[in-house]
Amino acid sequence: MRSFVALVRKQVLESRWTLLISFAALFGLGWLYVFVTSLNEAEIFKALSSEEGDRRFRWMQSMGVMERPSTASIIAAFWNSPLIEVMVIIWAIGRGSGAVGAEVERGTLDLILSRPVSRSTYLASQVLVAVVGLAVLAVGLPLGAIIGSQYNFLREPPTFLTLLRPAVNLAALGLPIFGYTLLVSALDHVRWRATTIGSVVTLAMFIARVVSVIPVLQKYRWRDWLDRITIFKLYNPVDAVGAGAELGYNLAVLSGTAAVFIALAFVGFARRDLPASG
Amino acid sequence: MVDGNLTDSTALIRTDGLTKSYGKFLALRQLSLEVQQGEIFGLLGPNGSGKTTTIRLLLGLLRPTAGRAWVVGFDCWTQSLQVRRLVSFLPGELRMYGYMSGMEFLRFLCDLREGDGLDRAVAIAERIMKLNLRRKIRMYSTGMKQKLALALAFSDPVDILILDEPTSALDPSARGEVLRLVREARAEGQTVIFSGHVLSEVEAVSDRVAILRKGKLMHVEDMHQRRSLRMLLLRFAGEPPARFPEELELSVRERRGEAWLLEHRGELGSLLRWLTTIAVEDLAIGTEDLHSLYEKFHGPDVVDEEDLD
Repeated sequence: MRSFVALVRKQVLESRWTLLISFAALFGLGWLYVFVTSLNEAEIFKALSSEEGDRRFRWMQSMGVMERPSTASIIAAFWNSPLIEVMVIIWAIGRGSGAVGAEVERGTLDLILSRPVSRSTYLASQVLVAVVGLAVLAVGLPLGAIIGSQYNFLREPPTFLTLLRPAVNLAALGLPIFGYTLLVSALDHVRWRATTIGSVVTLAMFIARVVSVIPVLQKYRWRDWLDRITIFKLYNPVDAVGAGAELGYNLAVLSGTAAVFIALAFVGFARRDLPASG
Repeated sequence: MVDGNLTDSTALIRTDGLTKSYGKFLALRQLSLEVQQGEIFGLLGPNGSGKTTTIRLLLGLLRPTAGRAWVVGFDCWTQSLQVRRLVSFLPGELRMYGYMSGMEFLRFLCDLREGDGLDRAVAIAERIMKLNLRRKIRMYSTGMKQKLALALAFSDPVDILILDEPTSALDPSARGEVLRLVREARAEGQTVIFSGHVLSEVEAVSDRVAILRKGKLMHVEDMHQRRSLRMLLLRFAGEPPARFPEELELSVRERRGEAWLLEHRGELGSLLRWLTTIAVEDLAIGTEDLHSLYEKFHGPDVVDEEDLD
């Protein structure tokens, strides 16, 4: 147990600045989107207050085509921003590629694994730090939003728990990315390859998601196929903050996919050779 | 079994046909040897001879292609964790965490052994190796890093020390200190595998020495026997004796014209008495260091079997 704690402590020490900066960025973004939502709501209110706006709103309401979205939904819609996803992706790829490949590359894995530490204990400590890190990062977003809402007027200020649901979805998005990068790292002896493969796969899935939602491409059959191969489809903060109809499924698929890759990484790492560095 | 090797089933470390290949390249070929408890076992050979591969196989860092290795009865691959509880390893190529201080480094690695040995490691590092443990490792010289790693290796409460080129970056006085610590470890009952390039150091501390070449075990030399070996270079006055008395344990190594080079492993007194009974024109008695034996397997005249094919 002491060795596991020592490994966790070392990894936290090594990744603390990345974690802190990413957390601060997400906290800031959470706050920023509350500020933007507050401005939006003020604009809408102003428009509705005018005679023309009021007439238009009443007409639309009578036609049943407009339901005012909740403040939480508007905030969550901003959370679809690639800026937010990038923070999680950087952490996931960084921790995954650094887990084994980087230690082999710099020759420090010998120091650890020549001690009575099992390979599974070593990898478990890496997984723990990465997963807890994802959770910490994701919490930064609702925390920023809640604190931001204390300083900005919102029509219906959301609760922390309401915003925590899309945050959990965001953390879960990072899990499979960490998983497949970890698998490559666990089998390799350099960091760059795991980083490259992890980045390319993630970027490809991101592009697939972007292409799949372009309206003019809806009629093509391959669009469905693109939609199925991307994990980004499973990150839906607006749904998570609202009815949450997809949240359970999204979390299950993201976590399940990550579990498969992480399990494969454990098997591969336990069976591989660890040649001398250099 | 190679000459000089032991066949005692109570050996602390045992390998049987241990082989490691990377594709077609054979890094280690059919290595079979045994190391006894309390023994200092030297591993000699140039780069690429299989020393580090052997060590990594013993530590379970590499999976054998064929054959097996055991440490205190534990299989080095399938029971590697149990093996590493009993072994402390000093890597040949030292890479450390530069952001840690010397103290943090020792504490971290001792924690990986459940905290055992930290006080002793600090004592060795500060008092014997004269290291400032408050400094960051990135500020240490290569020699200082090696001293830090040695302090850790010698402080681990283990049965076996595996030292891969432990003196490569050290100054002469520190080298002497390391050899003293190695002897001390043996005196305390620890078994030491000492891999190195410096023949004089391996010779000075080892009980037995294995010489490897291109992944193959060429020879195992019992250093106690070697230390009792005397070389006699002599020229007989007149006819040389037809045969030497058996009890003298004399054998002819080489003869060049009238000069005879003899090996003597027996008692010195009886040799001196015998020498007074024969007519000798010229005589020199000396010892033989490990270098000449090493040259036999690594000298410029050595041709590999596969090169002849």
